[in-house]
Amino acid sequence: MAPPATASPAAEFPVTLIDDEGTSVTIRAEPQRIASLSPANTETVFALGGGDRLVGGTDFDDYPAEAAALPDLATYQGVIMEQLVAADPDLVLALGDGGQTPPDVTRIRELGIPVLVLYPEDVPEVLNDIELIGQAIGEGEAAAAMTDDMQARIDAISAATAAVSQPRTFYELGAEPEIYGPADESFVADMVTLAGGEPITTGSTTAFSLPLERLVTEDPEVIVLGDANYGTKVEDVAARPGWEVMTAVKEGAIRPVDDIIVTRPGPRLADGLAALALAIHPDIVLPSPAP
Amino acid sequence: MSVGAATEAPTAVHIGRLERARRRPLALALTALAALGLAIVAGVALGSVSVPFGDTIAVLAQRLGWPVATTWPETTQVIVLDLRLPRVLTAAVVGAGLAVAGTAFQGLLRNPLADPYVLGAASGAALGAAIAVIIPVSVAWLGFGLVHALAFSGALIAVAIVWRLARTTSLSSLTALLLTGYAVGSLLAAGLSIAMYVSGAQLRQIVFYLLGGFSGASWPQLAAAAPLVVLGSILLLLRARSLNALLLGEETAANLGIDVRRERAIILALASLVTAAAVAVSGLIGFVGLIVPHVVRLIVGPDARLVLPLSALVGAAFLTLADLVARIPGELPVGVVTAIIGAPFFLVILRRARAGYEV
Amino acid sequence: MIAPTIDHADRATAPGVDPTPGASTDGYELEGLGLTFGGRTILSEVSLHIGARERVAILGPNGAGKSSLLRVLTGHAPDHRGSVTLDGRAIASYGRDALARRLAVVPGEVSLPFAARVEEVVALGRVPHEDPLRGLRAADRRAIGEAIEQAGISDLVGRDARRLSLGERQLVVLAMALAQEPRTLILDEPTVHLDLRHQVEVMTLLVGLNERQGVGILAVLHDLTLAAHFFPRLILLDRGRVVADGHPDDVLTTERIRAVYGVDPAIIGR
Repeated sequence: MAPPATASPAAEFPVTLIDDEGTSVTIRAEPQRIASLSPANTETVFALGGGDRLVGGTDFDDYPAEAAALPDLATYQGVIMEQLVAADPDLVLALGDGGQTPPDVTRIRELGIPVLVLYPEDVPEVLNDIELIGQAIGEGEAAAAMTDDMQARIDAISAATAAVSQPRTFYELGAEPEIYGPADESFVADMVTLAGGEPITTGSTTAFSLPLERLVTEDPEVIVLGDANYGTKVEDVAARPGWEVMTAVKEGAIRPVDDIIVTRPGPRLADGLAALALAIHPDIVLPSPAP
Repeated sequence: MSVGAATEAPTAVHIGRLERARRRPLALALTALAALGLAIVAGVALGSVSVPFGDTIAVLAQRLGWPVATTWPETTQVIVLDLRLPRVLTAAVVGAGLAVAGTAFQGLLRNPLADPYVLGAASGAALGAAIAVIIPVSVAWLGFGLVHALAFSGALIAVAIVWRLARTTSLSSLTALLLTGYAVGSLLAAGLSIAMYVSGAQLRQIVFYLLGGFSGASWPQLAAAAPLVVLGSILLLLRARSLNALLLGEETAANLGIDVRRERAIILALASLVTAAAVAVSGLIGFVGLIVPHVVRLIVGPDARLVLPLSALVGAAFLTLADLVARIPGELPVGVVTAIIGAPFFLVILRRARAGYEV
Repeated sequence: MIAPTIDHADRATAPGVDPTPGASTDGYELEGLGLTFGGRTILSEVSLHIGARERVAILGPNGAGKSSLLRVLTGHAPDHRGSVTLDGRAIASYGRDALARRLAVVPGEVSLPFAARVEEVVALGRVPHEDPLRGLRAADRRAIGEAIEQAGISDLVGRDARRLSLGERQLVVLAMALAQEPRTLILDEPTVHLDLRHQVEVMTLLVGLNERQGVGILAVLHDLTLAAHFFPRLILLDRGRVVADGHPDDVLTTERIRAVYGVDPAIIGR
């Protein structure tokens, strides 16, 4: 992982960075044709002021509005290699999965294009990755400022929620065909903790689903609907057989949230944390973001 | 029917009839070659980015050494030479390998329903690939990941296990092989399920491998797989005589002078090597190894000396075309295309087999 | 088709052996042959001399060891006791190819996993002779043509062997064995599935091959009548031993049939 950025002067190139997989990547000159292979990276580049240098994104890019207009170089199935090559990027920002380097990335590197693989597993790593991207595209200063800002907001939110009790919180990722929730030590679990909740997890670091009995035993005091964007409504939850015994259901503490800002490891993460904190502590007063 | 009649020139008559009754291997070879050529050209000319045909030809010509002035952007060159060309050639090599291996396995096991995966190679490769994806070791060398290496080894190890285990049963050797292959394959598939279950976020990579395809094809991979496939196929061709002798069964083959145990081991090893090389670079692509030998046999008869090389040609053309068809609408897995073509064909074979399989 | 005449003249005919100098070492010489498998004695104390041009039928009830004897004679039982020589050499010393050019075994039942034309099946008989890569040459084609002619299946050429009748198929595999151009033809119950007409056809063919072309014939048969009619020498096995060896009249006596087969000899008209 890249070391935390100190106040750096105007970006210097060539620069050698270490990406989240530990690969050393050398960028010779300030990139003018940036390709992003994940919505989070796309958002970050735009937020750092590099949006006009983006030559391609994914089919899932939705923020800011201009991002959707970028040529799609990757879909859920993977990278469309020909489109990527045709876009002639001089830097590719990819998303890892915590395991082997994705074969697409290896392929792109074989063609001589520098690729940074980013895989933030918790909130501090998200900020580090934003700074990494900043250094890569020559916006190191802007990145440092942004992360300082975000850190301050995150600290403030944590402080505000620390003052009140931390309810047992289940962040629901899905309920059909199984109940999906955050794995142990996962990003979402981290977010819940920072937002002032005690996360209910699946019990293992690799499983994403948990049986109903476990959930009932853990007895959430708050249920945050991370699948609200996909059609799950508050009323549906209360109607599920077996759920009525949970404290959260009895007290009606079921709240929807926009999962994109909560889980996307990008510049809007502080907004996401704020939204999550409000879902867990509806009466809390949070400091408003700096203008 | 005349019995033992020693007349003047009946032998000449029969030789003539034999000639006429002979089938048309040359026609098939030329057709397959033409189809392969067409498939390669089309495969290099078409893709998700539209490249003017003239540019494609010019890039290839320049690469072959002809003095052609560069009038195209570098990205076009990369697309044609580094993305499409290795992909198309890899599809051809894998298609040839799977078809040859399928021919060998069908002859070895005397079973028209056999394919290169029937003795556990597929399950072994899949498990190997899955393990490679989930273990926290990152290895990349010359464009090979751990996935390719473990898929290759997994295929070979699985077949070796099946071979060893089959020898310890008291069943007839072919039955033993097939049943053991099934059992070991199932066991490995269970292992694969476990690996997929614990893979967490890396599940996608495993599934990607299982579906099979050529989107990751590259020159280094081709350079590693092609020699194995070509060498293995040539060595198998040298065993065509044994494959022919095995047509009527182990006893008859022995009486025709074949060392059945030795030939079985050699053919199995070669066919597995070719299969392992193919699945290592392309994942699990079905139906090629099953269908192509049958098509070729329909046209030229069961003589392995003809079926082996012609299957290689037809298999190469088939898979290259299938990859093209899979690629153009937007990256369908090529296994889907081969299945759509292959499954109905398979049913047809099944019907014919039912009519006249056991003599 | 020439109707075969079954009369005593056939049986009385000598097996057509030309006395050739040195021919005495040709053929099989078995001395004290024994074979056990899994603790059971399959063959014991079998001593035989079978000339290269003889026509011999091997008889015996089920389990007598007939097929095992064939296995020894075709070199597939290396663990035998005693000595077995072919043309003066130990049978174990023959290379597989060499043995396949000297002997041909006509398979009893065969199955084909793929469609194959009659001539393609017959062509398999050339495997011990052919070049591994170049395949069939002129000499091979000639042998195939002759074999088809001899077996009388010229009108079956071009047909799928899987779709022939049992009798026709038997002739096809017989042709395949003939294509090997062997000096001795070995058959294990070649007439099991055949109707009478085809049985007689096959037998007459074997007689012709033996008498006109000097091909040695060794056939395991279950049909005593057929054996007695077409073979001048019978070897009777019972529980792994040779109990009789000679002319049918001497071998198939009423007492022997009763003793070995346990049936009333009148059933087979003796």
